Amino acid sequence: MPDLVLDAVSHVYARGDVRALDRVALRIGLGERVALIGQNGSGKTTLVRHLNGLLRPTEGRVLHDGVDVASRTVAQLARAVGLVFQDPDRQIFAGSVRVEVEFGPGNLGLRGVELQAAVDHALAAVGLEAEGRTNPYDLGAARRKLLAIASVLAMRTPVLVLDEPTTGQDLRGVEIVRRVIEEAQAAGRTVIAVSHDMEFVASAFDRVVVMRAGRILLDGPPASVFDESSWQALRSSYLEPPPAARIGARLGLGATPTDAALLSALAGSAQ
Amino acid sequence: MILGGIAGPAALVVAAVLAPAAVAGVLGRLLRASLLLTVPIALSVLAINVFFFPGGATVLLRIGPFAATAEGLSFATEVLARIGAISGAITLFYLTTPPAALVLDLERRGVSPRVTFVALASVQTVPAMVERAVTITAAQRARGLDTEGSIWRRVRGVLPLAGPVLLGSIGEVEERSMALEARGFTRPGRRTLLWSPPDSGRQRLARWLLVLSVPLLVAARAAGWLEWMT
Amino acid sequence: MLALESVSYRYAGALRPSLHDISLELRDGEVLGLVGASESGKTTLCLVASGLAPRTVGGTLGGRLLLDGADAAPLAIHHLAGRVGIAFASPATQLSGVAGTVYEEVAFGPMNLGLPLPEVIARTDGALASLRIEALADRDPARLSGGQQQLVAIAGLLALAPAHLILDEPTAQLDPAGTAMVAEALARLAAEGASILVAEHKTDLLAGICARVALLDAGRVVLDGPAGEVLSDPRLPELGVAAPAAARLRRSARAAQLTGDALARLDGALA
Repeated sequence: MPDLVLDAVSHVYARGDVRALDRVALRIGLGERVALIGQNGSGKTTLVRHLNGLLRPTEGRVLHDGVDVASRTVAQLARAVGLVFQDPDRQIFAGSVRVEVEFGPGNLGLRGVELQAAVDHALAAVGLEAEGRTNPYDLGAARRKLLAIASVLAMRTPVLVLDEPTTGQDLRGVEIVRRVIEEAQAAGRTVIAVSHDMEFVASAFDRVVVMRAGRILLDGPPASVFDESSWQALRSSYLEPPPAARIGARLGLGATPTDAALLSALAGSAQ
Repeated sequence: MILGGIAGPAALVVAAVLAPAAVAGVLGRLLRASLLLTVPIALSVLAINVFFFPGGATVLLRIGPFAATAEGLSFATEVLARIGAISGAITLFYLTTPPAALVLDLERRGVSPRVTFVALASVQTVPAMVERAVTITAAQRARGLDTEGSIWRRVRGVLPLAGPVLLGSIGEVEERSMALEARGFTRPGRRTLLWSPPDSGRQRLARWLLVLSVPLLVAARAAGWLEWMT
Repeated sequence: MLALESVSYRYAGALRPSLHDISLELRDGEVLGLVGASESGKTTLCLVASGLAPRTVGGTLGGRLLLDGADAAPLAIHHLAGRVGIAFASPATQLSGVAGTVYEEVAFGPMNLGLPLPEVIARTDGALASLRIEALADRDPARLSGGQQQLVAIAGLLALAPAHLILDEPTAQLDPAGTAMVAEALARLAAEGASILVAEHKTDLLAGICARVALLDAGRVVLDGPAGEVLSDPRLPELGVAAPAAARLRRSARAAQLTGDALARLDGALA
């Protein structure tokens, strides 16, 4: 099972001299739930694409379990790191939900009963178990997003990377994503997500990494990243702490990044 | 063609192609582009005509069984002069006319706005489609699609790669058309244009001179005044 | 005033209608928020209110769309262009694709309507000023950020001087900076008396700008009233809508049986 390391990774896109990543050093251990936040252009997407080899560092190395992945192809790395893209319409090609979800695990060599089991499990995880024969374009955009997640879940990779999983989702959709992340962690998988949704990030992840201009600005548990002391850094990235954190600060209750933390701090302080 | 020989086309090239190019400031690019386009043709035209011109008598050079004749050379240079004139004119047009300007001017003269739209939008969609195709390839590779393996594997990758490109484009077209219609695109009749091409008295004069010169030259040739050129 | 009178709508080829017996009013000078679970009919309602359904989209419309009291049915879509403007979630697809500069893009609508040139210019200048994006006038729209593109799209609508603006999830694809840009612009337009219908999942955003909110569930209007009331209705979560942070925290605090004192402190901080 890989633990992932970016060792002083820089990435400069061929067409310009913009350093999309600037000597980034990051280590993500097995089973962690990490959220990457930051403005568009801060390097979040560039970073996650280095994890499965879609992008290669211009400088520095990417290591899985201590081994440099430079010589492994994307298809090989897809066994270890499953990446769900932000726009489901950039991957959906099949005429039915089921065939779409079979694609990923099929590429990894799953067949027969094992393949069907993986697909069944993934569809159930996102609430699409009844839609096996539905055409993906008959699902709304939000459920197509869940389909994209299922199609990567079925690959059962040790590391799961989600790019903006809650964008455009209603309450139920967000709950489904939350559950997917919890179950993945319970199964010992590492979950990494890029997200703009601060409340979701504060409540569903153990670790938050804030990026700006290709560098890591902050890295820690939600309580410290969303604590008042970090607000200036956050605001310099056009990020706002979640409401619970702001209210907790206003009431002088310390770091309360989530609703639950705020309420327990309130209850505690009343005694 | 109207003007025989070499001097005619050469003069034409200077007057109608090189001079305007110099005025527009694209002379250097024009010469480079034209040369690039015509050098391959020039070589084959020269080779074939110099050595194999029927009726060539004045031999200039012998290489083995092949004889290079003066008549062949003369004919070849005539042909090249004409090719030069045509390719020069086309290149000049391409270098001095931004597509938007051409298409909007046509609209100003009565062509339907839908034609303008199609012409301009087609150019703009190319970079977006390329970017889309790149993302789709990345997404499918991330699901284990092997784009580096055997040919059979790569053939199997066609549907997962082409499918989203087409399906996504169709979906996008639908939303784009809705946005366009909601902004009055389908209103029949002409629309107001923000832009009209810069035109000066001198440009108009030059245009008229060029256009009128064609019937004048035809008449001159018919009257036998241009025999001295051949 | 824009009104839907007993509207039902079925997409071409669909088995069931997407909207049932909807009666809703968008009054002049009012901002109406529209919330609902995914696929509850928000987008369909926006399409009907703008006239795109059934004119461009096809399908069957029951009931009537009324503009200033008159049935809009005989009006062709280009007649409606100057009366109702509609913007969608995806910034890039709303741009015409034929404008080299933001100025030309915003002028696209008035140009299409064949207005005299001085008026086209006056309207374009006015729209850019309304959204405070005059500085973007010479930029290439394709190279702007998502938030900027959305502002350009909205400016393009304002240039048509519509009586009503309809926005279908305008911030769904934007990062926090872009969302803030658009939210701010909408708040300003609202303060200036614009008539806006905005569909969104982000109820905190709606709480800030809407006077009234309507909630859709399976194609029917289930709640319709003042924003404060509707957004604090306890039924929101079961209807698939995330309540705004304040309402949510108050409810959770009461459910957690915090002391009256703690509740009062929370209330104070939320005010």
